Amino acid sequence: MRARTFNCMGTVVSLTLPSTSGADELVAATAVVEQLFAGLDEAFSLYRPDSEASRIARAEIMLPDASEDMRRLYADAAGWRLVTEGAFTPERPDGVLDLSGIVKGHAIQEAGTSLLALGLRDWCLNAGGDVLVHGSPVPASAGDGTTESGSPAPGSGQPWRAGIVDPADRRTLIAGYPLGGPPGAKLALATSGSAERGDHIWTAGAGRGSGSVAGGGRAAPAFRQVSVAAADIVTADVLATAIVAGGLPMLDRATDGWEIEVLAARTGGELLATPGFRR
Amino acid sequence: MENTGSAAASTSAGTTVTAGAAGSSGSSSSSSGTSAGSTTGSTGSGATGTGSGAAAEPTTGAAAKAGGTYAGSVVQTRFGAVQVQITVKAGAITDVEALQLTDDDRKSIQISNRAAPLLKAEVLAAQSADVQTIGGATVTSDAYLSSLQAAIDAANL
Repeated sequence: MRARTFNCMGTVVSLTLPSTSGADELVAATAVVEQLFAGLDEAFSLYRPDSEASRIARAEIMLPDASEDMRRLYADAAGWRLVTEGAFTPERPDGVLDLSGIVKGHAIQEAGTSLLALGLRDWCLNAGGDVLVHGSPVPASAGDGTTESGSPAPGSGQPWRAGIVDPADRRTLIAGYPLGGPPGAKLALATSGSAERGDHIWTAGAGRGSGSVAGGGRAAPAFRQVSVAAADIVTADVLATAIVAGGLPMLDRATDGWEIEVLAARTGGELLATPGFRR
Repeated sequence: MENTGSAAASTSAGTTVTAGAAGSSGSSSSSSGTSAGSTTGSTGSGATGTGSGAAAEPTTGAAAKAGGTYAGSVVQTRFGAVQVQITVKAGAITDVEALQLTDDDRKSIQISNRAAPLLKAEVLAAQSADVQTIGGATVTSDAYLSSLQAAIDAANL
């Protein structure tokens, strides 16, 4: 495999291609991904005083007058708030519009679309622990005559093997999950929690017990870390965040309502998992 | 573990379960066996909200008052297509019947898709030497330097 990394959105993004790919191919692809991430960060970062998001937060721009990207992402986030019954929300408890819960997933998704548009079928994109893949690390195409361009069938070889860090000891893994490979396999894995960045997720009042969603109160989170595997990275990312915020009731709603696999580590260390995470 | 689709069925099943619990009296933890015989009546009836009634086609209020049988529209769920039929007598729903309930194979797989407690030894395992990428709660740029992902990237740079 060949990998390249760059810094963006306060984290590190890694792009990995199979060894069979050319070095310049990786350089070019990384440049495209980096540019896309940088563009979104420039508009959406609340850490940049001059960003569009910061200007909206200061009420210098009203949302209806914001850029099309901003309004579209807000609409997406508001839609997710609806279907997660408030567990995922595009607003901070103080009312400031905060799309950071969805912008990274969106960036990964857009980057994936760009990689496919570049003709790359086998790749793994990891942005600070959220992963989207396509194809296989060992494309089966080598001896099949489906090697070069043309045949759109992604390498139906082995999946990319993702490891999930143990929130209690980040040098070790608590689980693995195969992404990509055979057609129909899940391609995205997102993880949310309070392990690395402090309590950046605002729990929805009903962290345990009742399914109702109260206002922006902070209950002790039921889960320390939640990983969600899905067909796409935005769904995986949003639902992982929603489950950390909404606790057990949201976990059940998510597994009932979406085609996902979930591995959730309770604050006490116990694991909850859907069948896809069983060995 | 249960699914909304089986809500209608649980009405009649409820009575059977209660009877069983009464018979085995001592084994049930919550009801502790004392008043098992007398509670049967109330348990069976209380459970039903018939949530499936919502799917029925509201033809008109007047027609519904008159009574009759109404088939709801087919609703696509991720378990498959579902369609129910209600029977109305004197303005009240007296029966709900499933005309179509998802194909059985998919249903049995999907209904068990809830997350359940699992021992670490039961989870799909992975060794850091054996994976191509690392998932986890967002790593800051600083923390990345000492992360497993950094080690994997370094090996492939």
